[in-house]
Amino acid sequence: MATVLDPAGAPAANEKQPAGRTRSTTPGGRRRHFPPLLAISPFYVLFAVFGAFPIVFSVYLSFQDWDGIGDMRYVGLKQYGWLLQDSVFWHAVLNTFEIWFLSTVPMLFLALVLAFLLHSQVRFAGAYRVAYFIPNVTSMVAMTVVFGSVFAQAGLANSALRVIGLDGVGWLSSEWGIKSSVSIMIIWRWVGYNALIFLAGLQAIPTEHFEAARVDGANSRQTLFRVVLPQLRPVVLFAAVTSTINGLQIFTESQVLFQSTDVGTTGGPGQEGMTIVLYLWQKAFKEHQFGYGAAMGWVLFAIIAVFTIVNWRLVAGSDDDRRPGIAGLLRRRGARDGR
Amino acid sequence: MSRRRFLGASLGGAGAGLLGLTGCGSAEGSASAGTDHLGLWYWKGSLSDKLLATARRGVPGVPGLKVRGSQIPDGDIDSKVRTSLAARAYVPDVTVVNNDNLATFFPDENEFLDLRELGAESVRNQYLEWKWKACFTPTGRMIGFPLDAGPTALYYRRDLFREAGLAHEPADVAEEIPTWEKFIAAGRTLRAKVSGKPYLVSNIGNVFQQVLLQSPRQFVDADNRFIGDQGHVRRAWDLSVDILRQGLSARITDGTPDFNAAMSGGRIATMTTAVWAINGLKDTAPKTAGSWRLTTMPDGPANYGGSYMTLTRYCRDPEAGFAFLKWLLSPANQLASYQEMALFPTTPAAYTDPAMHEPDPFFGGQQPIDVFGPAAQKAPVVYFSPYEESANTPFFQELTNVEMLGKNPGRAWRDAVHTAETTLSRVGVS
Repeated sequence: MATVLDPAGAPAANEKQPAGRTRSTTPGGRRRHFPPLLAISPFYVLFAVFGAFPIVFSVYLSFQDWDGIGDMRYVGLKQYGWLLQDSVFWHAVLNTFEIWFLSTVPMLFLALVLAFLLHSQVRFAGAYRVAYFIPNVTSMVAMTVVFGSVFAQAGLANSALRVIGLDGVGWLSSEWGIKSSVSIMIIWRWVGYNALIFLAGLQAIPTEHFEAARVDGANSRQTLFRVVLPQLRPVVLFAAVTSTINGLQIFTESQVLFQSTDVGTTGGPGQEGMTIVLYLWQKAFKEHQFGYGAAMGWVLFAIIAVFTIVNWRLVAGSDDDRRPGIAGLLRRRGARDGR
Repeated sequence: MSRRRFLGASLGGAGAGLLGLTGCGSAEGSASAGTDHLGLWYWKGSLSDKLLATARRGVPGVPGLKVRGSQIPDGDIDSKVRTSLAARAYVPDVTVVNNDNLATFFPDENEFLDLRELGAESVRNQYLEWKWKACFTPTGRMIGFPLDAGPTALYYRRDLFREAGLAHEPADVAEEIPTWEKFIAAGRTLRAKVSGKPYLVSNIGNVFQQVLLQSPRQFVDADNRFIGDQGHVRRAWDLSVDILRQGLSARITDGTPDFNAAMSGGRIATMTTAVWAINGLKDTAPKTAGSWRLTTMPDGPANYGGSYMTLTRYCRDPEAGFAFLKWLLSPANQLASYQEMALFPTTPAAYTDPAMHEPDPFFGGQQPIDVFGPAAQKAPVVYFSPYEESANTPFFQELTNVEMLGKNPGRAWRDAVHTAETTLSRVGVS
């Protein structure tokens, strides 16, 4: 373990020294590193036990057929083969992406607007920040139960629709109703969190830029799109990537919303609320097909990896802005309009 | 605890966990190792709190035996038991297993003690026959011990039946509605003649479930063959779809706010379910007290739910463990558990006890035991396979699709059979 940690641990301690001197030529030799290494070892030990080991084990598990207690049976790539032919899995993948899109796009937009409003001078800004963050730390199960009654046939959402003269919607019993309900819950939960991230990004922008924009007569909208967004690019990237990762792992909302004694947790009518992680959980922990669950976990990993890269490319663009990223487009349009 | 000891303890624990996984376990894997009591896992409401408190101080009649219960959340207990068995560490000596889940342990029956070897036969005649038989694995080992039962009945609104001009006293209803077909006919009358146009059932999944449970065969037989596409399942399916076609289902998922509203608003005239639903109904629709009655389920009763207790092979003291089960689940203590926790006894001797014949004002002074007692004794012996959940989930799912999304029932049936077959082929059921 010491050899692994050496390169990581040593330069931090000797930041300003030439690289050659960090080796064991100094008085005390390697032994000198033991106390600090020992001090940071709990993280690595815990990570090895609770992080690295399960990851490696799940790879191994995905090649086995195992009910959790008995003997494992090696099945090679069969689990992956079955998975690729499993129509429910692909339905879950499609659902996950639909829900992700329905939730992430409005959520990031709302978060940005909220952050922008918070950044301008408002009274009780601290109270707002706390209020926005509260949904994120509320128990998801409790929250889902509340939303379950809001979206009930005779619930608050439909009552509100009827007041303005519209028909009620089958929030929990129609395809897009189900997807919208789950998306609304995700938006409610994550919008404040992302707003605070954006706010931190906003506060890092020098005030001179805002003053300059004001002097030039820019209105709020112009300031947002031409001053703030371009400089916020790394923060938007961070928010987009984490939202993608979170969005592809949607689980609790669907699980609690559509739980029922006889039907089990299959994601509601038409399985429209069935997400990848919910299906994984159902197979591994309800039906005890742990090998299948592990294989699903790795396919999910691959999907998330691909989308994180796509996201990165899209939002970060490239250094010279020649490639069409969102931020690149915004910046170019800004430049064109400004001329 | 000093910081150093804390670190040492946590590292030691992590190391022990790893060793457990690598397979050098032994009979020392009990969660209660090094203590003076046996460890028991259960979920809230599955066992009598009072009896557990007694057992903690000492099991009466068994000198020196103490049992300490640990509450595990309802939905987690099964995977927790599985995890500890896989790790061969921190396994409870005694554990409660839900009705549907006992069979999932059949492929790993050797992880549990065979209770016949501990003398279970000596108390056999105290318990319901079908429940006792359900404790056995296909190879003939007895890995479960009867905890509570879930006899079923037809719950119905006497006032609505009366308004519709139907028979409305329990004995008359039982006579007038002996089959599911007659049940559906009564539903039509209710909807046509009662001013509030009540629905017969909240959703058709319940009927599907009950018709299935009346059959000794479910979705997978004892030879590990898929039989879910056969007549007994088809009949349950067709009856359910018929109820829907005739507009007699409220199309509401049980337990949702809509269900609660419909129940208290008197929009649903019957419930086809087990004895344990009584308390839920009382909580959900307190205003309907006095209107409900209980009678025999169309086509006869079945068992829906209920639990077992098991001894794991890591049980430190099998004799003591069995003595505890014998004491806790004796007829006298099952009666006490019924009075305290509404756990329905699996010991018929308890049914004749005056304490079980309390009139219930919620059912207009009817004695629920008059219906549930005989129902418990008449339930069929049903074979559940370890793969039941994988096999039946697609059917319940497709039935929901038919009910909520208007999917074509014929197509839904074919899809359900197809999905069940593919899922089962992965776990070795043909």
